[in-house]
Amino acid sequence: MSRIITALSRHLGEAAFSILPSIPYAQKELNGCPGIAVSAKQLSAAARLDGPVAFHDATFEIPCGCRTALIGPNGSGKSTLLRVLAGLTPIRSGEVLVAGESPRLGRSRLAYLAQRPHLTELFPLKLRRLVQMGTYAHHGWFEECRHGDEVIDRALTRLGLADLAERPVHTLSGGQLQRALIARAVVQGAEILLLDEPYAALDQPSREIIDRFLFEEGSAFTVVMATHDPADLGRFDRILEMRDGAVSTRHACSGHDHRHA
Amino acid sequence: MLDLLLQPLSEPFFVRALLAIVLSGTTCACLGAYVVLRRMAFVSTALTHSILPGVVGALLLGLSPYLGALVAALLTATGAAWLASRKGTSEDSAVGVMLSVMFAAGIALMQQANSWRDFAGLLFGSVVSVGREDLIVIGITAALVLFGLRVLHKELELASFDEEYAALLGARPALMRAVLLVLVALGSVACVRLVGALLTTALFVIPAATGVLLGRTVPQVMAWGAGCALLGGFSGLYLSYYAPAVPSGAGIVLCCALPYLAARLFAPRR
Repeated sequence: MSRIITALSRHLGEAAFSILPSIPYAQKELNGCPGIAVSAKQLSAAARLDGPVAFHDATFEIPCGCRTALIGPNGSGKSTLLRVLAGLTPIRSGEVLVAGESPRLGRSRLAYLAQRPHLTELFPLKLRRLVQMGTYAHHGWFEECRHGDEVIDRALTRLGLADLAERPVHTLSGGQLQRALIARAVVQGAEILLLDEPYAALDQPSREIIDRFLFEEGSAFTVVMATHDPADLGRFDRILEMRDGAVSTRHACSGHDHRHA
Repeated sequence: MLDLLLQPLSEPFFVRALLAIVLSGTTCACLGAYVVLRRMAFVSTALTHSILPGVVGALLLGLSPYLGALVAALLTATGAAWLASRKGTSEDSAVGVMLSVMFAAGIALMQQANSWRDFAGLLFGSVVSVGREDLIVIGITAALVLFGLRVLHKELELASFDEEYAALLGARPALMRAVLLVLVALGSVACVRLVGALLTTALFVIPAATGVLLGRTVPQVMAWGAGCALLGGFSGLYLSYYAPAVPSGAGIVLCCALPYLAARLFAPRR
């Protein structure tokens, strides 16, 4: 019975889609980092529209392929800076370019992972479907997304999730979910990853898998990661310190630019 | 036994009622999946209750009651969104304000129309009095809603599960919420003949709540919900046919609650 309903709904769905034009969510983007991934001049922003500024006059650059740690005490504006780069929070003044463009929503080459993602609890969704959502970036309205299986499988394997693909999302551990969200960013084709304390509350195996993924295996991501862990800092190419509303660069990126040459 | 099931089918009104149940039950169960998953049960209650002033107003003005119902439901949705857009009013209380204002307006209008009895069908449903024109309206709204749910499935699912990621992709979660409210308004219009303005929200919530207990993906939730709505709808109709003391609307809702209870008791824990 359910098979008949599925087949019927598939055929009706295809008929419905065939009479509608497919419209992309946003302007299509070609990958390929132009040399500087992020550049900010005199940038200031606030967490909330009517709130106080979180940081001001920030001037810094992040080259392509550079792994940057964002450090500073709680409330120093790390999350706000990441949300500004993602296009989720408007800037107050100054200017900022992310991969050559002002921040906006609808950019497939950018992925942002919140510290605590607000996912609807107990939503009936399998892990595979969650990762597949990354492919939507390359499609749009009135289009079905059943393809991308190969890319999804590869991302699942790279993040050690292949065995969990059919598991409901709400049964995953925090670490498994975090890896699934990174896999979704990979499927999306993101080259700049904005990660807000991805290691908070992570079990050791998940941490190692994410570490290996971000820092080894010759992956060509530009990473901007807010972190509290001083032991981590050795692996980063560049450290941005945020303190009392100011942003300072600690040490520069050392020769990772060739990854994109 | 078979005779008991087949005998009512010789009556045209019964067949029309069955058709109406198939169309609007399926529609409400599929829409209900999102209503339940997004915790919008209260908004859907407000939309369905606001049908009352719409229909009564339309009758007083001599317009189509379905048009009145749709306009009133859309008015409630936009009104609640406008009230909640200002800081200091939560969406919850905005919906509460609209719900009570619209329902009170409906009661006042009913007084104008000077006859409460005529509106009993509107308040409590009368699926057995569904006519050909009603079936056409129900069919069109059901088709519109199911079409909308089908072509926007991945966006509605994404925005309901992870609103921020939907925004990051440019998939307009706020627009999807508005679309969903419009679809719920359309769906309420399709259901009001079945169980009445007071109970329409039951058709959104009970079957879908059953589906959520049993389904592991959104389409599965919809399929289980539709099954529950059809089972409950059919048994409620037969119940009120053989026990005329039970009004059809109440019978349908009560019979929908049985599969929910069964699922609640026996569905495996997840």
